[in-house]
Amino acid sequence: MAMKALDIYKHLPKTNCKKCGYPTCLAFAMKLATGKAEIEACPDLDPETKTLLGGVTRPPVRLVQVGVGERSVPIGEEFVLFRHEKTFYHPPGIMVQVSDAWPEEKVRFVVEEVRDTVVQRVGQDLVLNGIAVRNESGLPDRFAATVTLAGGGSSLPLVLIADNPASFEAALAVAGNYRPLIHAATEENWEELAALAKRYGCPLTVRTPNLPNLAALAGKCADAGAPDLLLDPVPQSLSGFIATATEIRRAAIGRTEPGLGYPIYLDTVPLNETDAALAAGILKYAGIIVAPPLAHASREAALTLRQNIYTDPQKPIQVTPGIYPINDPGPSAPILLTVNFSLTYFTLLGYLEASGIPSYLFIADTEGLSVLTAVAGGKLTETLVAESLKEFNVGDLVDHRLLVIPGYAAPLSGKIEDATGWKVLVGPRDGADLPGYLEAEWKT
Amino acid sequence: MIDSNEPGSAIREVRLGATRAEGGTREVSYVIGGERGLPFSREEPGRFLVALEVCDDPRFWPQVVRDYVGDLANNPDEWARAAERTYGADLVRLNLTSTKQRGFDAFSEIAATTERVLAATTRPLIIEGSNEPNLDSEVFRRCGEAGEGERLLLGTAEADRYRSVAAAALAYGHAVIAQSPIDINLAKQLNILLQEMGVPQDRIVIDPFTGALGYGFEYSYSVMERIRLAALSGDADLAMPMICASTDTLSVREVREAPPEEEDAMAVAWEFYTAYSAIVAGASIVCVRHPLTVGKLKTALGV
Ligand code: B12
Ligand code: SF4
Repeated sequence: MAMKALDIYKHLPKTNCKKCGYPTCLAFAMKLATGKAEIEACPDLDPETKTLLGGVTRPPVRLVQVGVGERSVPIGEEFVLFRHEKTFYHPPGIMVQVSDAWPEEKVRFVVEEVRDTVVQRVGQDLVLNGIAVRNESGLPDRFAATVTLAGGGSSLPLVLIADNPASFEAALAVAGNYRPLIHAATEENWEELAALAKRYGCPLTVRTPNLPNLAALAGKCADAGAPDLLLDPVPQSLSGFIATATEIRRAAIGRTEPGLGYPIYLDTVPLNETDAALAAGILKYAGIIVAPPLAHASREAALTLRQNIYTDPQKPIQVTPGIYPINDPGPSAPILLTVNFSLTYFTLLGYLEASGIPSYLFIADTEGLSVLTAVAGGKLTETLVAESLKEFNVGDLVDHRLLVIPGYAAPLSGKIEDATGWKVLVGPRDGADLPGYLEAEWKT
Repeated sequence: MIDSNEPGSAIREVRLGATRAEGGTREVSYVIGGERGLPFSREEPGRFLVALEVCDDPRFWPQVVRDYVGDLANNPDEWARAAERTYGADLVRLNLTSTKQRGFDAFSEIAATTERVLAATTRPLIIEGSNEPNLDSEVFRRCGEAGEGERLLLGTAEADRYRSVAAAALAYGHAVIAQSPIDINLAKQLNILLQEMGVPQDRIVIDPFTGALGYGFEYSYSVMERIRLAALSGDADLAMPMICASTDTLSVREVREAPPEEEDAMAVAWEFYTAYSAIVAGASIVCVRHPLTVGKLKTALGV
């Protein structure tokens, strides 16, 4: 079980010597309890205490990195079962599969698409993460050739999916330096595969359907020198995946079974229903998800769901309050009041930039709430508007005193006029109608 | 902590629809709820229902659906029949969008539409009444009365306008949708208010409000999980089944701005990811508008 800070503290030297980088042993214990510090940082512990505390203070799900460089995918290091309990940290890597039985052209097309497609939402770049190469031919040379075609791991992280150790040997000779994920060590071949993973320092997936066996297999591979593991419980159905993944995560968080403290691997291909399987993996604890090449709509929806689920529930994605000039505004440009919720900002920005109309976006600090939510929750008020006008010296930017407010803030219009002395114009509710509104109504 | 087996800790069962034997005219009735764990956490088959939404005034309906269903959009009863027979919906949710037009007063049409849709369908029916306090009482009375004995699911009760819906449900024997804006405490409060008015617990379905994917969905997802966890650990005032209707989904930018050849695919993807995720979070009924989303959800739930 996880240990509380005070229980950890009992095992520390209590000298407050600060060598760990924290002012007191208790402060260090508190960090350890939340998985935010490494036990190794305290030099004054005997090995037994270190092992004891190490076991209970490491993150319940091991951090594993697939791939190298800019697009590498860190997964694991999660602390909770439900995102509202804190947050989920490491979104699952979605790896698009190609087969070494496909024509070269097809492989090349998929790889380029994964490499070059970026979905931009609320200021973040969302991407599919890598390529899963399947050794359907069974031939080591073909497998290695397709791995090379997929960039060899140097540009996109790879998953290598095969049965026979000779195929892995061949593929790792090409891609071994780029931390590809090996799939998979089974009861039959684990010794050879763990040795390969150790030799190349690669992450390794262990695969077997029953959880005690899966934990035992993970333990054996870790002992054999392959500590960076993923778990593939070989789900037979989607509901089965959700049930099993939940059990694994629960055992990890509760630290009831060290062999289950690893990220989960999900191959959506045998389950057929790609969209449902992607959603299930995103929602329920997958670290790596293998999927067939995705249609545009599926890709957008899946990446959006992943972004939603991995957003910190305590902090909406926000922009810094202030004045944002758009399309080179001059002193007669309109001042458009809005909130500092990223989604609102980027939505408006899209419409305004496309319109070419010069304006100033005037972003008040509503603590990341949308217009309607901020109005309903009392976060967007006339006082805030008046103070922000002063703080950002908005009056110095323009030669007029007209403030366009969002349609949803209409109930505040009179109060804002009274509090600021500016004349308020109530704009449309939908941001899409803002350019049209400005064309028609804005004259100074 | 999570899967308690205390007798009081199961989600309450709510019956929807009434067969002839039960005093109605439906060919089937459904029971939702009854779960004692998280969705998919046990071998017990989940009770998930997929509702296709139709309306009585297509001017207030997403263009992408109107384009897809064509003429059906002008005949709520034909549309409802197709929802069941052609598209495979478990049930229909009839939205009385005609009440949105300015100066609406065609109350007798409400009753007539309800009767026609009931006659055209064989399964339980959800009715979404007006969204305007001045009309509520008459609208809910008319549709409630027209469906007397059919155990409709009537919506929507909200904290500041729940009396008319609840009164109609009580008078004519229906269940009620209780909607609160993404907040577990407000959901609980509203359930208590409804119970104080005499609505029994087994006739309330919680609607935690579902923001569209990419537009607040994460909050809805988490509040659904929290409601379900609270229910399983014994909070009787939250132990009702949940319904999810992400009504803004088909007007998000991704769908609105999709190229024509991709409109349907984008609409279906957006609805599907939202509805499927809502089920994983604990929803018993998911409501969608694009006919093609129905089959996709039914297939996925069978895998
Ligand atoms: C997600 C959400 C939340 C999240 C907050 C997310 C966030 N960061 O804001 C949470 C769960 C925290 C929340 C809380 C609440 N919420 Co809320 N929430 C929503 C939801 C589902 C989506 C909001 C959203 O993201 N909109 C998208 C953004 C982009 O919209 P926007 O900022 O308004 O911007 C658009 C326009 O306003 C316009 N625009 C923006 N700026 C400008 C500027 C100008 C000049 C112009 C012309 C136009 C313009 O363009 C944009 C694009 O069209 C809405 C439902 C809905 N469909 O809106 C309910 C909703 C807004 N919430 C509501 C309520 C009541 C609340 C609470 C008061 C409830 C409570 N729990 O007590 C609280 C208040 C917050 C607080 N704690 O103080 C109600 C509001 C009812 C009303 N009509 O007043 C809604 C409508 C839900 C409902 N139907 O009941 N909410
Ligand atoms: S290094 Fe060890 S002994 Fe020194 S303050 Fe940190 S925990 Fe305490």
